[in-house]
Amino acid sequence: MSALPAPPSKTQATVWSVIAGLAILACLVFLDVDWAALLGLPKSSWEYGVLMFSDPTWSKLPRALFETWRSISMAWLGAIGCVVISIPLGMLAAHGVGPTWLRLALRGLFAVIRAVPEVIIALILLTVTGLTPFTGALALGIAGIGTQGKWVYETIESLNDDASEAVSAAGGGKAAVLRWALWPAALPTLMSFALYRFELNIRMSAVLGLVGAGGIGSMLSNYTNFREWGTVGMLLIVVIVATMLVDLVSGAIRRRIMEGSRARGLVRRR
Amino acid sequence: MTLVLPPKPRTWPKTLLIAGALVAFTVLTCLPAIGGVELDFASIAKNWRHGASKLAQLAQPDFSFLPRTWVPMLETIQMAVVGAVVAAAVSVPLTLWASRPTNPNSVTRGIVRTIINVIRSVPDLVYATILVALTGVGALPGLITLFLFDLGVVVKLVSEAIDSDKHAYLEAGHAAGATQFQLNRALALPQSLPLFANQWLYALELNVRISAILGIVGAGGIGRLLNERFGFYAYDDVSVIILEILVVVILIEVASNLLRRRLA
Amino acid sequence: MTNTAHAAGAPASAAWPIRLENASVTYPNGTAALKNVTLTIEPGEMVAVVGLSGSGKSTLIRTVNGLVPVTSGSVTVGPHEVSALKGRGMRELRSNVGMIFQAFNLAERVNVYRNTLVGRFAAQNALRSFFGVASPDDRRMALEALDSVGMLDKVWTRAGSLSGGQKQRVAIARALSQDPRVMLADEPVASLDPPTAHAVMHELTRLNAERGLTVLVNLHLMDLARDYTTRMIGLRYGEVVYDGPAASATDADFEQIYGRRIQPQDRLGAS
Repeated sequence: MSALPAPPSKTQATVWSVIAGLAILACLVFLDVDWAALLGLPKSSWEYGVLMFSDPTWSKLPRALFETWRSISMAWLGAIGCVVISIPLGMLAAHGVGPTWLRLALRGLFAVIRAVPEVIIALILLTVTGLTPFTGALALGIAGIGTQGKWVYETIESLNDDASEAVSAAGGGKAAVLRWALWPAALPTLMSFALYRFELNIRMSAVLGLVGAGGIGSMLSNYTNFREWGTVGMLLIVVIVATMLVDLVSGAIRRRIMEGSRARGLVRRR
Repeated sequence: MTLVLPPKPRTWPKTLLIAGALVAFTVLTCLPAIGGVELDFASIAKNWRHGASKLAQLAQPDFSFLPRTWVPMLETIQMAVVGAVVAAAVSVPLTLWASRPTNPNSVTRGIVRTIINVIRSVPDLVYATILVALTGVGALPGLITLFLFDLGVVVKLVSEAIDSDKHAYLEAGHAAGATQFQLNRALALPQSLPLFANQWLYALELNVRISAILGIVGAGGIGRLLNERFGFYAYDDVSVIILEILVVVILIEVASNLLRRRLA
Repeated sequence: MTNTAHAAGAPASAAWPIRLENASVTYPNGTAALKNVTLTIEPGEMVAVVGLSGSGKSTLIRTVNGLVPVTSGSVTVGPHEVSALKGRGMRELRSNVGMIFQAFNLAERVNVYRNTLVGRFAAQNALRSFFGVASPDDRRMALEALDSVGMLDKVWTRAGSLSGGQKQRVAIARALSQDPRVMLADEPVASLDPPTAHAVMHELTRLNAERGLTVLVNLHLMDLARDYTTRMIGLRYGEVVYDGPAASATDADFEQIYGRRIQPQDRLGAS
């Protein structure tokens, strides 16, 4: 047999792994965790699981559904507000649409909003405008602008130039390019993102409820504090079912939209 | 010469239907009687003036407060790291179970996917609230929350990526008489490592953002301090904490992007 | 099923025959890929299967190691009746049948050594598999297989950075490390340039000559079938339309198999 070449050196990878391992260990060791509680976790989660789900308090279901609709409404209106603001702003922030100073300013604004966790934006807004579902919707609308705006300008920039060139060549100005080339091509993707924002908001609205804005989150928070596990179990089931339903329906609609847009790009309407 | 046009396709009934459904849905969300949101713009305008002074305070951070934030901030970062690491370890077998190329058995695949979907349906702070009631205030409920949240994110995203890739080497492995487990361990795992690494780093970034607020419900980290300062209306302290969170989040994102480029 | 040690280049364990009897394959979507195929391939024969895309070549070769189950009829490879096998029995059959593919089917991010070791997996126990530690015998067989195809100097290289011809040779090494009784090749040179294609075909011929392996090769190029194999089976629409010596197959025979006139792309050209 001919000579076997030497295996490549693994020292660098080993050194980095050791360093990373030590860093992680340091985080773990100095963390103030009640390790006894951790060991008892499987048993206690089973016990609490039984408490919550063996006999959920269905009698409170009507109230739970009422609060769920409140959360869904917060999510929906917040999504509408967010989308209505972020589409024009996002378009202006795309290359080739607005002046450079505006583009940079808008992108900076989006980045700042994005960097701050949504709950904190909500808390700030809630202290200013009060703890009501309406302000919850407002908070969801504003907090989402960072991510939504980014998606909008990324979508616009990922469109290919053919249609825009055609409109410009025919003598159209920026507005015409926007209206006739960019808007129709971007519309399916933008609608898809709008629906996705709704899906994300559903989860966020439960969280806002926990900090006091109303909806299913506040009901959960109350009954957890009262330690009424039967009701908590029922509420969890409602949250899970509602979220999965919204995801399912919204996901299916988004797939139809994207498939439709793909088909329309290839086949002329009969 | 008169032009004969083909009949214009009638799209307006369908568009009207969709628009009508959207409007009806929106109207339903605005009816307080069934749980909708009451659009009270007047109160906004009224409260705004009250809130203006609070906003002014927020714009003037009190940096002398920083030393009190070091320990809670450190706890936030520790929770984020440990949560991400433990979730990363557990995510490997779960993801391979949830993807079709690595798990041809549609029953077990369906079970894992459903469990992950259920886990993903519960928002992070809801987990934290309930876990705090279960295990008491501290970092433990925060860790478990982050662990569950990360599992949900990583398993779903990576398994979808594995599903959409081609894995021709698996056919060769089967033709050689290997078991699925052997192929997953020796080939599928190294092949999908970039996908995993990408999502693990993403989970770490998300963790820092989330763990900063978990403390609001008592699950450890700087959120507790934040909530406390909010309660005392000490908005200058609040803004320092927010800035600190911002800085850490951005640093982690930058570090994570650098790591991604090195690993890819 | 112990694949015991043997010196490289010495005759392998005795080659197996392949027998199909009225084998038919109909896919779930209704496509009849193979129709009542009856064939016998003797141990040590080197056979080419030719036909256009859609003629059933890929299906035929995959019925031999059970990657595609037959809907009716039987396939017998050596002592094994393929359709009766599943689980461990199927894996044992497959461990004796080496296969290489048009797209090489290597794991690109994994190095050549580990790709070759895949051939030893059927013999490896669960503990070794979990820790990724091969036995000394497995390691030696993999390395010897690589050496016999001339790829030992690339053993620690990532498979993705190799050329097409090199990848196919690694794939051959992977199959060889199984110490197989039968070698299957599904369009092994379709993605390779002419000189490399000739080199790989030469390799297959060498394996057949030196180790006495039964070799079944799918080809869509006429001259490769004529130059490198001794017997040729022509498939058209899932049926056998030609079965005879490869060297004496005429252009007219090929036209009958293809169902159309010969075109320039049916020939590879000089090496």
